[in-house]
Amino acid sequence: MEASNPNPGLLEVRNLTKDFGKIQVLKGITASFAKNEVVSIIGPSGGGKSTFLRCLNLLEMPTSGEIIFDGVNICDKKTDINLHRQKIGMVFQQFNLFNNMNVMKNLIAAPVKIKGMEKEEAKERAMKLLGKVGLADRADAYPHQLSGGQEQRVAIVRALMMEPEVMLFDEPTSALDPEMIGEVLDVMKSLAEDGMTMIVVTHEMRFAREVSGRTIFLCDGVIEEDKPSHALFDHPESPKLVSFLSKVL
Amino acid sequence: MEFFKDIFTLLTRYNSFFVQGIGNTLIIAFFSVILGIVSGTLMATMRLSSVKPLRYLATAYIEFVRGTPLMVQLMFIFYGLPMTGITFPDVPFIPNFARFAAGIVAMSMNSCAYVAEIIRSGIQAVDPGQTEAARSLGFRKSQAMTMVVLPQAIKNILPALGNEFVTVIKESSIVSVIGIADLMFRTNDVIAVTYRSLQCLAIAAVIYFIMTFIGGRFIALLERRLSVGSK
Repeated sequence: MEASNPNPGLLEVRNLTKDFGKIQVLKGITASFAKNEVVSIIGPSGGGKSTFLRCLNLLEMPTSGEIIFDGVNICDKKTDINLHRQKIGMVFQQFNLFNNMNVMKNLIAAPVKIKGMEKEEAKERAMKLLGKVGLADRADAYPHQLSGGQEQRVAIVRALMMEPEVMLFDEPTSALDPEMIGEVLDVMKSLAEDGMTMIVVTHEMRFAREVSGRTIFLCDGVIEEDKPSHALFDHPESPKLVSFLSKVL
Repeated sequence: MEFFKDIFTLLTRYNSFFVQGIGNTLIIAFFSVILGIVSGTLMATMRLSSVKPLRYLATAYIEFVRGTPLMVQLMFIFYGLPMTGITFPDVPFIPNFARFAAGIVAMSMNSCAYVAEIIRSGIQAVDPGQTEAARSLGFRKSQAMTMVVLPQAIKNILPALGNEFVTVIKESSIVSVIGIADLMFRTNDVIAVTYRSLQCLAIAAVIYFIMTFIGGRFIALLERRLSVGSK
């Protein structure tokens, strides 16, 4: 059921498993993600989507298996994970902007303190990116002064400030009021158009179908289907996927 | 009216007793609070450490200290320890050093456990998502702690820590049982001489209240300073 991928993988996952106590949440996941590819991961709640995504930058430590990023196995204990996380941006369901910093400080903290970027240069870059997501006038605001949609757009910019090679999105619109989902999806869409490599865990089926080239259906810790999006949605094969789609579409 | 006249007379005639008592109470409270915070911070770090033996040791200490009376701890240190050969030395020029040292050690070891719990719960009350976001950007654990978690935790910690200061000032009255001439001890002296228990205790209560009230206000001021830019 694996989609054959002609491009060399930027991110290769092999036989990934993750146990929480006695419960096996991921039961041997193998997948490959190419540069510039936009992949959606869909599936029922509790099926392991978020856990899988969080394993990719080791926010969860996999129980077994390999994650090869840029040719390096990041599960290896000798790998400096902090170095790799700089190249893997992550956007969370709950935004997780630093509450003790205003927007600008949220954005420049990592590039200045980790990459050693000049403060002025970082600020300039931040303003440019904020302009792109329509928030140039909110640079001095604190997170609690922003709406959910604004917070999530800032969170996306914060990840982009590190110029990552791949962006992970963990249900980026699930905590938003319906009228704010559009503004976040628009930002993600334009990112995809700019060629960013993206792995998106989502419940937004339209986004999966229209924006991402490929969709993975993850259910009960197993990849049930992994195909180009239109094929997956128009011709679902596994009974679990058929039943899932009948509930959400 | 007679009552207030008595108080006035007591205050004018025995003010040196009360002043000395206040001084000693403040000395005990001040050093206990400082040492309590320093050791409590260390204890909290151990309590939150990923090294299991450290964590267990800290947990056991905190549980034990919080589960036994301060009176017992104080007497254990002042009367009990010397029997095992551990004594606080006398220091020239500082009268009663051994007593004060025992009092301060007991108070701060006690406060340490409470401060550690205050700091631990303050840190754990910060949304774990904040740390995750910092780690996902490539910050080390320690950077995430100092840059993101602690500045937010301090707002949870300060009010409870203020309570702890007030408690230390009040509880320090217990050191009178090992013969430190603190406010409570001196108040008892005045009662012994004058038999005016009610008036003397009223004076002591008001003085304790003034000290705790000023301490509490000071912490409240700090809280307001630090609440800039938060919810």
